[in-house]
Amino acid sequence: MIYLGLANNEKQAMVAEYVRERGIKKAFMLTPAKFAIECPVVEIIEYSSIIMYKTFYRLLQEIDGSTLVVINECLRTQNRNDLTYNCIRHFLAQTSHQLIFQYLPIIDGFNDFLSLVDFDTHSRWKRETNQTIIEEASIVCAEVAPIFNRVDIGVSDSEISSYENEKAKLIKNIGLKDPHTIPRNLYLISGKAKLQHIRSDRWYIGRNNRFKLSSFQTFRENKYPNAPYAVFEVCHNFIDFSDFLFLSGQSIFDFLVAGLKIDEWYFQRCLKWIEELKRVYSAIRQYQKRS
Amino acid sequence: MFIQRYDNTKNVLDAARERISFLFDAFETIIVSVSGGKDSTVLAHLTLSEAHARGRKVGLFFLDEEVVYESTIRQIEYLMDLFPDCISRYWLQIEFALTNATSATETQLICWEAGKHKIWMRSKNACSIQHRMWSEKEQTVRDKNKGFGFYDVIENFERCFTGAAFLVGLRAAGESPNRWRAMVKNPVDVNGTPVFWATKKGKNAAFYPLYDWNFSDVWKYIGGKGLQYSKIYDYQFKKGFSLNEMRVSSLIHERSFKSLCELPEFEPKTYNRLCKRLKGIQFAQETGKSAKMFKARKLPKNFKSWVTYRDFLLRTHPDTKHKTIFEKRFLRHLDNEFVARQQCRQLILNDYENNLPVDNKPDPREELIRYYEEVL
Repeated sequence: MIYLGLANNEKQAMVAEYVRERGIKKAFMLTPAKFAIECPVVEIIEYSSIIMYKTFYRLLQEIDGSTLVVINECLRTQNRNDLTYNCIRHFLAQTSHQLIFQYLPIIDGFNDFLSLVDFDTHSRWKRETNQTIIEEASIVCAEVAPIFNRVDIGVSDSEISSYENEKAKLIKNIGLKDPHTIPRNLYLISGKAKLQHIRSDRWYIGRNNRFKLSSFQTFRENKYPNAPYAVFEVCHNFIDFSDFLFLSGQSIFDFLVAGLKIDEWYFQRCLKWIEELKRVYSAIRQYQKRS
Repeated sequence: MFIQRYDNTKNVLDAARERISFLFDAFETIIVSVSGGKDSTVLAHLTLSEAHARGRKVGLFFLDEEVVYESTIRQIEYLMDLFPDCISRYWLQIEFALTNATSATETQLICWEAGKHKIWMRSKNACSIQHRMWSEKEQTVRDKNKGFGFYDVIENFERCFTGAAFLVGLRAAGESPNRWRAMVKNPVDVNGTPVFWATKKGKNAAFYPLYDWNFSDVWKYIGGKGLQYSKIYDYQFKKGFSLNEMRVSSLIHERSFKSLCELPEFEPKTYNRLCKRLKGIQFAQETGKSAKMFKARKLPKNFKSWVTYRDFLLRTHPDTKHKTIFEKRFLRHLDNEFVARQQCRQLILNDYENNLPVDNKPDPREELIRYYEEVL
C-alpha cells in the first residue's frame, strides 16, 4: 500500500498498528536519515547503505514472509532502474507486508511516481510508462497542494542594468562550468534586491544564509520549527523543496518575486511544478476510482 | 519488436537446467567458457552436473590472459578439477596481444611472450594448452595493425570445432537493456526450435543459459551448493563495493584498469609481479580513480578546454602508428567540448581499438547555455 502525504506521527501510528495487528516480530524501515521514525521492533536502514553488500545480502537473508518492510520517503532519484530501487524491489519480493510512505508523489514529473508503483506492484510491469498501471497499485492519498502567494518587489533601473551586466559576464565566462550555475548565480543577485523588503518579525527560507539573518533558514536543514516561512528564494532542485515541505508541514507560502527575469523564471517554474503535482493527484483519483 | 514475457511457473534454476538438458540432447560437443567469475562458476557447475548424470564429457575453455588475479587462477584450477572424468581441459596459455590502457609507451602486452618467461606473472600450468590448436595458414586476424588479439584467439579456437555449443555465463537480468537486446535479437534454430538465448557463431553457436539470472540467483546457487568462488569478491565485499562494482575481470584493459587501485591491498604479490611485467602499473594504481587522469572527468588546471587538452595529447602522443589511427578517427567527429572530452579519454587510455566509442553529437551544454541566454 502506498500512503501519500502523511505526517510523521501518522506514519508512526500506522506502523505501530500494523505491527500489533499482524503480530509482526521483525520490521525494517528503509529511509533517508533525516526522515527516520522511531517505532517498536523496527530497524532503521539508511537509504545510502541499501546498495552495500553488507546490507543487501543481510536483508535478503533476514526478510521472510513475516517481515514488515517500510519504505519511507525513498523517492530520491528519477531513474526507475536505479540500483537502490532494484535492491528495494528485491526486498519487497520476499514479503507481502509492506508500507510505502511518501509525502509528495513526484520529484519533477509524473513518471517519478511510477517508481513507487513498481514497489507496490512488485514490478509487475517492468518500468512501463503507461499511466493506467496506477490502477494496479493500492494508494491512500492525502493531497498536498502547495500554494504560492506572489509578493512582488520592485527593482530600480540600476539593479536591472547590473543584473544584465552580470548575466552577460556569467555567460561569457561560463567556460566548462555547469550551465545551471547561470540561473543559480543570477538568483543570488536578485537576493540583494529582496533583502531591503524582508520583515524582522517573520521567518524566511532561502538558498543560503549569506546575509547572516537571524530569522532565516536554508533548504539543507533537518528541522523547520519556525513555520510559517516566506519563500525568499527557491532551490534549483525540487527534491530539496519537497523535503522542506514535508519537514515544515507548511503548504501556503508568501513567495517573494523581484522584478527581474530570473525571479519570474523561478516562480513560473514552481507554478508548473505544482500543476504537474495536481496532474498526478488527478490521475491517481481517476485510476483508483476506476479500479 | 520484442515482447518481454514472464513465465512465473518455474524458477530460473529449473529453467537453466532445462536449457542445459536441451543442449545436451541437441549437441554432441559442448564447451563452457569460464573466466573465474561467479557467473561462469555457476554455469560450469550446472553443465558439469548434467554431464556427470549423463556420463558425457564437456569442454572447459579458459583463455589465460596472464595478467589476472591469482584468485582467478585458483578458481580455474578448482573448476578444472571439479568433475575430472567429465572434463576436457581447454586452458589456453598461448601468445597473443592485449591492450594495455595504463601506458602510452608499452601499449600492448604480449601475453606469454616467448623469451620473457622470467618476468611472466607465473609459470604456465602443466595441464594447459601451450601451442596454437590451429595451423599458421588457417589463422585469421581481424586487424593486422593491432596484431593477433584476444578476440582473434577466441574466433580461431571456435573454428576448431563444427556444430559445437559454446556456453557462456552472460546474464541480461539486472544488467543493461542493451545487453538483453543484443542477446536475444538473432535467435538460433536448433533442430527446428528457435532458441532466443543464443547467437550463431559460424558453424557453431553460443548459448546463454543463465541469461535471466540475477545477482542474487547466482549467489544463492553458489551458497546453496557450497561452491568455491573467487576470493576477490570477499575483498570487495569487505571494502563496501556496491553491486555493480563487484567484478572479477582483466586488470589492464580500458574498462577494467580501475581494479588496479585495490590490487595492492587484495593481492600484493600479484601487484608486485605486475609492476615488473608492464609499464604504467604504479601510475594507474595511484590515479586510476582520479577524475583528472584516466577517467577524464575533470580538466587538468593548465588547460582551458577539452579541445586544447585533446590537441595537446594528440600532438605529444608517443606512438606514431596509433597517433595516425586517432587522427583519422577524430576527423570524422564533431569539434565540440562534449566530443573532445571523450577523445581525451580515448587518448589517455590509448584506446586505438575504439573499445570506448565516442558519442559524436552536438554539445548539450551549449544548447542549455543558449536557452538560459534567451529566457533569463
